[in-house]
Formats: sequence, structure tokens, C-alpha cells
Amino acid sequence: MTGRLRALLRLFAVQGTWNYERMLGVGMGYAAEPLLEDLKAVDPVRHGEAVVRSAEFFNCNPNLAGLALGATARAEYEALPGAQIVRLRTALCSPLGAMGDELFWAGLVPALIGAALVGVVLGAGWWAIAGFLLLYNGIRLWTGYWSLRTGMESGMRVGAAIGSSWLPRAIERVGPAAAFAIGAAIPVVSAWYLKPFGFSAGVGAAGVLMAGIALTRWFSPFLTTVRFALAAMIFLLVLRRVGV
Amino acid sequence: MSELSSQVVLSLLVWGTLVGLDLVSVPQAMISRPLVAGTVAGWLVGDVEAGLRIGVVVELFALDVLPVGAVRYPDYGPATVAAVALGAGSPWELSLGLSTALGLVLAVLGGWSLQTVRRWNARAIQRRAAALAAGESSAIRRLQYGALLRDAARGMILTLLGLVLASGIKERVLLDRQTAVALTLVAIGSALAAAVNGAVRSSGRKARLKWLLAGAGAGVLLAVLA
Repeated sequence: MTGRLRALLRLFAVQGTWNYERMLGVGMGYAAEPLLEDLKAVDPVRHGEAVVRSAEFFNCNPNLAGLALGATARAEYEALPGAQIVRLRTALCSPLGAMGDELFWAGLVPALIGAALVGVVLGAGWWAIAGFLLLYNGIRLWTGYWSLRTGMESGMRVGAAIGSSWLPRAIERVGPAAAFAIGAAIPVVSAWYLKPFGFSAGVGAAGVLMAGIALTRWFSPFLTTVRFALAAMIFLLVLRRVGV
Repeated sequence: MSELSSQVVLSLLVWGTLVGLDLVSVPQAMISRPLVAGTVAGWLVGDVEAGLRIGVVVELFALDVLPVGAVRYPDYGPATVAAVALGAGSPWELSLGLSTALGLVLAVLGGWSLQTVRRWNARAIQRRAAALAAGESSAIRRLQYGALLRDAARGMILTLLGLVLASGIKERVLLDRQTAVALTLVAIGSALAAAVNGAVRSSGRKARLKWLLAGAGAGVLLAVLA
């Protein structure tokens, strides 16, 4: 197995040692190890320094971490000053975090989940769930491969490579798709649950829905929807207990 | 739950552990999404319908979470597995409310346990600070494997706790039909509130909001036709 493939596989566990001090740092160091192996024979001192730098503080979206990993590994082989590599790593944290979060957590995941929910309700069952998993993981695998390759090919010019890539355009497109899919899923799922109960039960659930939206907005951030749900259930049980 | 065989309980425990690991540590393949975790758990206990119904309702709560940066969030995966174990074998109209309540409590506990594991990871790193400063790759590997083990243990304990609670609730808590249905309706209404909150917050006030409204229109049409 090549060093690059091992690094790619290790990137799937890049958040394994997540903590509030170094965040993804140690996970990045773990993924960097196979990439830096050849440096050990060429320049052992530089290799030791590179390993230290690879495990320092770092944070970004895990699916785009390969861009930073590849770029910094290449910079180590080009023997660029350590301070410059640290600056590159630091500079990549925010954009890779923001772009990856927009693309995956606020885009791709809700878009595919919304579509899967509609599929499940319309009777696709397992197919909808399998489709979600296959599509998401296919895109994610390809993105991981592309990230590492692009990072290793562009080195210190990784910022320009990201700017001219498919990434910004994909982020623009996936957001509306996510909004549409979730927008479609909510009424479909509502009908799926509420139809068997009849009209009056539907009105009751709608009342809980409206109260939930209003109260969690007024008392945010203390009152989350989970807390609201648990409080409403306890309230209901108390009411039933006293005979209301 | 009480009538589940030890083989099924073991498979739920393994599934809950994998799902717990998937949330953050490895491989983030989205098997921890309640929709997936719940449906597979339903299949394991022989009641896919319960898995789907509970998975979808917890998924609506999960849509209110945007796991960006260092944000703290509930762990819905193992929680959904335990919720399905509780709801399996009963009509979903009667069991969904209680199952969702158990799932939400466990999800909150799961979020708290995630913070604990993260603090333990930080302590482990501090203990190996000298080795890290010396550039020892073996120290990085040990930290990584140790952290993965801690998270796997977290997922397993959370699932086990959920299964024990599910068993206790199934044996001891008896709700009359009206209360059980009302609890289910409260769970559905709250879950929909969570999904709407998440969708509106993500959409903001720009073009994305128009797409959300267009999607809602299409969804209403589908719901009427379906």
C-alpha cells in the first residue's frame, strides 16, 4: 500500500483524537505519518520537526483535511522554513472549515437526508437508505482523494488551487438543493405520521409544533428543541396523572 | 425488549458501538444518522417498521443540529438503537412517544459523554506532551488508538445503558392508550418543530429561503397525492 493511500485511509479517522486543545491536530499527525516516512531516510532531523508540526493544533472540516495534509507534507519535502508551514496550516483552518461545513454539513447531508426521508415515506424503504449511504460515501471518498491529491500537487499554492476548483461552485449549488429537499421532506413526513390519527390529533400535533418553534426561539439558547420535547412530555404525563 | 434473545441484544450492542464511533471518530460514513441507525436496529430486532418510524422521528430532531467547529451536540445514534429496542413489537402509534423520550434522554447523555471523552483525550495528550515535542510517531499512534478505544467504549456503554433502561421501561411502565397516543403526538410535534427550526436557521433570509419554501410547496403536493 502506498503512503498516499495509507494517509487517505487514516484521514477517515482524522477526528479520532478530537479534543479542545489541539482539536484535529493529533489525527492530522496520525494521517501525516505515512506521507512523511520517506523524509526520515533523507533528513531525519527535518523528519522529526515535521512530525512535531503535523500533530500541532489544527481544525477544519474532516472531509477537506486532505488539502492541508497534502500541502504541508509537500512543503516539508520542499524544505520550506518551518514557520512558513505553520502559517500555511493556520491559514487553512478557517477556509477549509467554512467550505467543508457549507458543502457537507449544511449542504450535502441535509440534501441527501431530505431526499431519503421522502423516499422512505413514499415506500422506497431500504433503497432510500442505501441510496443515501452510497451517494454520500461515494462523494465523500472522491472528495477525500481529490483533497489529498490537490494538496500534494499544489503545496504552498493550495489556496489558489482551491479557489479555481469545483469547490466554490458546488457549495453555491448544494445549499439550495438542501433547502428544497428538507422543505419537501417536512410536509411529507408530517402527513406520514399524522394521517392515521385523524384531524383533531393533527391539530394537537400542530399546536405542539407551533409552541415548540415559538418557545425555542424566545428562550434560545437555553431551551433547545430536545429540552422542549422532554418538558412537554413530562407536562403531559403530569396532566394525565392529575386526571386532565 | 425483555423478550429479545441474547444474540439480538449482542448484535444491538455491536451496532450501537459502531454507530457511536461513526458520529465523530471513524469513519463518519453517516451510519450514525438516526434514520440509518434506527432502521438497521429495527431489522436486527425483527421490526423494521418500528425502526423506520423511530429513526425518522429522531432524524427530525437531528436536523436541528449543525455539527460545525467545536459545537456541542447530542449523540443520536446509540440513543436511536435503544429507542428502537424499546418500541419494537408494539404498534408504533402507542410506542413512538415513550421510545422517543428514551432516545432523547440518551442522546443528551451521549452528548455529555462525548465531552468527557474529549477531555480524556486532552489529558492523554498532556501526558505524552514530551514525546510529541520530541517528534515520536509512536506517541501519535498510541494517542490515536487510545482515543478510538475510549470512543468505542463510550458508544458501547451508552448502548448498554439504553438497552437496560429500555428493558426496565418495557417491564414497569404501563401507559393507557390515550396517554400513549398523546405522548406520540407530542413527540411528532416536537420533532417537526426541531426540523423546521433547523431548516429555517440554515436557510437564512436569502435565496435559500425561497428554495425551502418551494420545497415545502412540492412536499405538500406530494403529501396530498401520496
